[in-house]
Amino acid sequence: MASGQTMAIFTAQMSSPPASNYATLDTRNDHPVLDYDDTTGESSYFQDVLPRNYNGGGLTATIGFSASTATTGNVVWDLSIERIDDSSLDIDADSFASAQSVTAAAPGTSGMVKYATIAFTAGAQMDNLAAGEMYRLKLARNAASGGDTMSGDAEINFLELRET
Amino acid sequence: MAVLSPAQRQAVRSAWAQKLSIDHDPCSLTKLQMQAAVDAADDWAEANAASFNSALPLAARTNLTAAQKAQLLAYVVLKRWGGQL
Repeated sequence: MASGQTMAIFTAQMSSPPASNYATLDTRNDHPVLDYDDTTGESSYFQDVLPRNYNGGGLTATIGFSASTATTGNVVWDLSIERIDDSSLDIDADSFASAQSVTAAAPGTSGMVKYATIAFTAGAQMDNLAAGEMYRLKLARNAASGGDTMSGDAEINFLELRET
Repeated sequence: MAVLSPAQRQAVRSAWAQKLSIDHDPCSLTKLQMQAAVDAADDWAEANAASFNSALPLAARTNLTAAQKAQLLAYVVLKRWGGQL
């Protein structure tokens, strides 16, 4: 049984940038972070293989983020999954499933890391990803959303996937 | 000179937020609240531009361009509050 078990852990250095509007690597007291602007919608990719002990359930992502300057307001995170299965997807074009979102309040104290979760049900939301298959995650800050009210950069410290 | 356009004011807010982010300078304002502050500061600058100009000594008032006068004010204000020149 894999329910509740961690499927993947990503840190800032494990990200890869899109061709444009990418979150930027930074450090905060020597902690590697990814900075997401509060005006331009920026994103990052993370890539892995879903472990063989994945048992067919949904996935829950935990996003650990801090705020470069803000101690108030909300951040809107969008997360989407792209399945790269055997001899099927042409990786020369993106093929992400629809993003799932969370609106998370900024940590009340500067420097603290807030944990926010996004749940994916098995199937279409996960792009029908199966055990042993390669996948990409796209984590974006929806800075244009009216719900994204936090000023300044949002910093990604880690991203964890666990089976729901 | 007229007040900044909405797009220019938004650019100022964004740049200010970036500066605060780079410095990790805590700021408890939302994006909307920051924008309101930028807008008010621009309105104040517009309303008091003539007064600032009149406060300058004659040589500066007659020989500096408007942009240079603005730079002068910016440098003095930044230095007063510990900003980097």
